[in-house]
Amino acid sequence: MPTRTYSQAINDALAEEMQRDENVILYGQDVAVWGGIFKVTDGLLEKFGPDRVFDTPISESVMVGAGVGAASMGLRPVVELQFADFVITAGDEIFFKAGMWRYMHGGAHTIPLVVRAPSGGSGFGPEHSACPEAFIMHAPGLLCAVPSTPEDAKGLLKQAIRLDNPVIYFEHKLLYQMRGEVPDGEVLTPFGKAVVRREGEAVTLVAWQGMLRRALAAAERLSQEGIEVEIVDPRTLNPFDRETIIESVKKTGACIVVEEAYRTLGVGAEIGALLVEEALPYLDKPFKRLAIPDVPIPTSQHLVDAIVPSVDDIYRAVKDLVD
Amino acid sequence: MKKGEPMDQEQLVRVYKTSELARRFEAKIVELAMAGELPPALHVGAGQEVAQIAAIEALRPDDYILYGHRGVAYMIARGVSLADMLADMAGKEGATSRGKGGVMHVVDVPKGILGESGTLGGSFVVSVGVGMALKRKQPDTVVTYFFGDGTANRGPFHEALNWAAVQKLPCIYFCENNGFAISMPTSRSTAVENIADRAAGYNVPGVVVDGNDPVAVYEVMEQAVARARAGHGPTLIEAKVTRLQGHYVADQQEYRADIDTVAEKDPLPKLQQTLCDRGILTQTDVDDIQADADQQVEAAVAAMRAAPLLAPEVALQDVYA
Repeated sequence: MPTRTYSQAINDALAEEMQRDENVILYGQDVAVWGGIFKVTDGLLEKFGPDRVFDTPISESVMVGAGVGAASMGLRPVVELQFADFVITAGDEIFFKAGMWRYMHGGAHTIPLVVRAPSGGSGFGPEHSACPEAFIMHAPGLLCAVPSTPEDAKGLLKQAIRLDNPVIYFEHKLLYQMRGEVPDGEVLTPFGKAVVRREGEAVTLVAWQGMLRRALAAAERLSQEGIEVEIVDPRTLNPFDRETIIESVKKTGACIVVEEAYRTLGVGAEIGALLVEEALPYLDKPFKRLAIPDVPIPTSQHLVDAIVPSVDDIYRAVKDLVD
Repeated sequence: MKKGEPMDQEQLVRVYKTSELARRFEAKIVELAMAGELPPALHVGAGQEVAQIAAIEALRPDDYILYGHRGVAYMIARGVSLADMLADMAGKEGATSRGKGGVMHVVDVPKGILGESGTLGGSFVVSVGVGMALKRKQPDTVVTYFFGDGTANRGPFHEALNWAAVQKLPCIYFCENNGFAISMPTSRSTAVENIADRAAGYNVPGVVVDGNDPVAVYEVMEQAVARARAGHGPTLIEAKVTRLQGHYVADQQEYRADIDTVAEKDPLPKLQQTLCDRGILTQTDVDDIQADADQQVEAAVAAMRAAPLLAPEVALQDVYA
């Protein structure tokens, strides 16, 4: 099977969908001539021309808001925000316009909009490092994709472009150069279907993107000590596949959520609430969250490392729970 | 800019008729709201409807409109059902936004009424996307965004006008400057004398027009539409209009210095007088027009009263396609 980087997989998805449907347009700051600040959209201007691939001013509000207007009139815009944190900069347009324009007008409009939002990573400071998925998950009307592999990066983006609802598509900055197998031919990943990345009985770890990689690394170490953890990758947070997590917890009796985001009212909090409401009889051990303590994300790497869950943190949390 | 086509007599009569209907319809809504039958959720457009309707007269039926929150004359000019708009207020079957947006978010896409942002001026950015889609998919059509002077001080105004101008989009920005942002006079909120002065910052034409003069409004709008259709991009029009009533239904307007004299500026009786003076309408015609408007309003009220409330489960619908 051919391998592609996560970044190439996104580029492939964009190219294929733009080839398939002339209503798909792509725009954002520096995406056309320069190929994007992270070079994800390199070459697409040359392939599809300036009418369909174009640069925008530094104007996040109108970038997203125009996406809503264009989508309501029959285009299928893909908007790149340079950093996922800027879903807050364009807050009205993300939460009210993309999320509610259809509802507020009684279903008269359909909003097939994709906002690509590079998230996570480190070194860029408090306003350029976040994984603000919980904000999106909390808001009605917005679908939310968190691809963790090149295959899912491609499959979820292609699916997102074809959906008739607004999708906030988080692409993790530290995964861009990750290489993985991507099947030939049409790759479409359904929304709302989690995948079990590793099977085990000791505890269910729920993790995605950067934290999934760390969870997998911790699982390797634990396995050498005879502890087999199960790892669930939700792939999309709205729709959210509750069943796969509950089924896993029925088997393991324990759950740890690992997230690269603020602890309070994060995705982990929602999963904890879900388990209390629907799976309490199956939980033999206290539910746990590993997350960023409720502070902004600093710039210096050693300070980032001090607050973002590490492979060691995950390893120790599992050990503490099973011992 | 070259002069636009002048408005003909038939059009002027239509502006008058539609304005009478809008005025009477909104007065009825206020009456029903004060009586407790409808929620007091309308920002009355009285005084501004003549400019709104005259501007729409310069559009074709296949052009699109995003609008501000002052009144429902835009929708009436496009033929949206009065009963359906009352249903929007009452949360009843027939409501154009199915109880989700009320009378502030009336929508009728086939009639070109695309809707309204809840946040003030929030449709600036949406209008840019509509323009992008029209340019690619429905060339030769335009979108007009009617907005209030107060919203021109929000960030989306700047982002939208700049990018619409850069892309030469078929967008027309029609400011209804009534001198107040809710209670605050424009003179205290805005550093420029005219909102249209800001057009220079976007390299688009900026035109100030007397919003109490429908013929003048039509003419500048016609020029802007021609410019947009020709692919030359947006125009920023500022109509100086008269807000006859308060910001909301029960607003006592203690903040207003011109409260005792504002009625003298009402463009509707002036328009009626002009049409009679020029022999275009007789007093009998005027009486018939007013009686017909009242009849339409009463029929709409009766239809709204007869309609059932929307079912509770409707609250759960229309989030996703």
